[in-house]
Amino acid sequence: MAIRINPMTALNSDYRSFAFTQPKPIRSPKFAMASTLGSSTTKVESTKKPFTPPREVHQQVTHSMPPQKIEIFKSIEGWAEDNILVHLKPVEKCWQAQDFLPDPASDGFMEQVEELRARAKEIPDDYFVVLVGDMITEEALPTYQTMLNTLDGVRDETGASPTPWAIWTRAWTAEENRHGDLLHQYLYLSGRVDMRQIQKTIQYLIGSGMDPRTENSPYLGFIYTSFQERATFVSHGNTARHAKEHGDLKLAQICGIIAADEKRHETAYTKIVEKLFEIDPDGTVLAFADMMRKKISMPAHLMYDGRDDNLFDHFSAVAQRLGVYTAKDYADILEFLVGRWKVADLTGLSGEGRKAQEYVCGLAPRFRRLEERNSAKAKESVNVPFSWIFDRQVQL
Amino acid sequence: MAAVPVTCVRLTTTSMHTNQILGKTSTLKLVPMGRVTRGFPCLRTSRFQISCSAKPETVNKVIEIVKTQLALSADSEVAPDSKFATLGADSLDTVEIVMTLEEEFGISVEEENSQNITTVQEAADLIEKLVEKKNTTA
Repeated sequence: MAIRINPMTALNSDYRSFAFTQPKPIRSPKFAMASTLGSSTTKVESTKKPFTPPREVHQQVTHSMPPQKIEIFKSIEGWAEDNILVHLKPVEKCWQAQDFLPDPASDGFMEQVEELRARAKEIPDDYFVVLVGDMITEEALPTYQTMLNTLDGVRDETGASPTPWAIWTRAWTAEENRHGDLLHQYLYLSGRVDMRQIQKTIQYLIGSGMDPRTENSPYLGFIYTSFQERATFVSHGNTARHAKEHGDLKLAQICGIIAADEKRHETAYTKIVEKLFEIDPDGTVLAFADMMRKKISMPAHLMYDGRDDNLFDHFSAVAQRLGVYTAKDYADILEFLVGRWKVADLTGLSGEGRKAQEYVCGLAPRFRRLEERNSAKAKESVNVPFSWIFDRQVQL
Repeated sequence: MAAVPVTCVRLTTTSMHTNQILGKTSTLKLVPMGRVTRGFPCLRTSRFQISCSAKPETVNKVIEIVKTQLALSADSEVAPDSKFATLGADSLDTVEIVMTLEEEFGISVEEENSQNITTVQEAADLIEKLVEKKNTTA
């Protein structure tokens, strides 16, 4: 089938939907897997006003977790303090963006910048498109902190709440904040990209937000973040590898250090969900199946630059082609999580729980089969311009 | 190969069905002339529309594939106008159904077309169209 599984869009699983499941999108839907490949929500573009970024069109559901379950999260605050906060790095031990950039206070600054630009010149446009997309995703951090604070039982009620959950969320946000800063400054100095278009895209994206369909449920929320952290770990790991191949070891270091953070965050989130499987296996497996059915939507799936109505599709197609983040990765991450949380070994499940368990355990092979078949099909190459690189064209 | 290239004659008021008379003939006859080699056009609606709808074998094959995909029992009710969604298919199921149909019939379904497949009948009709196209361009 010519349907290309675009992990980025698909994962936004709701992003792409077939005619019978969702309202017909204006654009050609792709079977979106995770938010990367994730579920894609079909977006509806307004045909009346110009410069209208895409919007979520699915029904936005709230507070689907029964309120009694909020108790669970209160009761494990002690556990969270001892087992989750340990995955945060003390600020004094943390890297800062400046550690990886030319030093403006040094005499050698200009020379360092020239060197950075000389290395960047050797890196092709398609790589930059993906790096920019990743940077824009990181820069939309306000949306993610917001999303964490929508979750019942774990939200930061005041902005300075002393609960372990709130401490985690703030510190996590602070660590993530360095990622966007670092990539932004690198891209600025590189001279390879149109910073104004990129900045505009960021403004649109933060304005758009996103609904990951976690419905204020920390079960859904932490499963979502587990998936996402692993996805970003894979993605940045791949951009690091590519940078090395293109001869830019410093850029490889940048991407690598970001990937290391993501890995640490993944460890924390998967631990929380592991605890939930221990306390409430039925509820957690149902939540897992629910998120996978809805497909993990990519955080930046609503990205818009004022020009391209299919910007996210285009960006994720390039990421797929370059092997930075692919449909196969989506399947791999799913398989990893199923193994990590020992879903196949769960016992004492309800009827619905068993169905959910079966669904989740059987899902990765189905995605793989689809993707194998898909990649076997020859596709005509399409080139599209990206405003992020001054409308230069890149192959999808 | 026949001297008289005759395929299904269609009289239709809709623009959906393409003219299937290929080869030398360019006129569309109102009355079927010569041998009709395919399933005969059936009168489907009260509108004056005669169109070639899919052969029963094709429809049955589709039903079989749908039942397997959705783990429905052999004697469960699946009619040609059954909607996949109503039978319990999610978007992944539909993609897989179309994929199985491609493999089974040796065809390739374009993305745009696959969105229009919501029922068994639509799938069967598209299959026949694509098989026809494949056979004539081979």
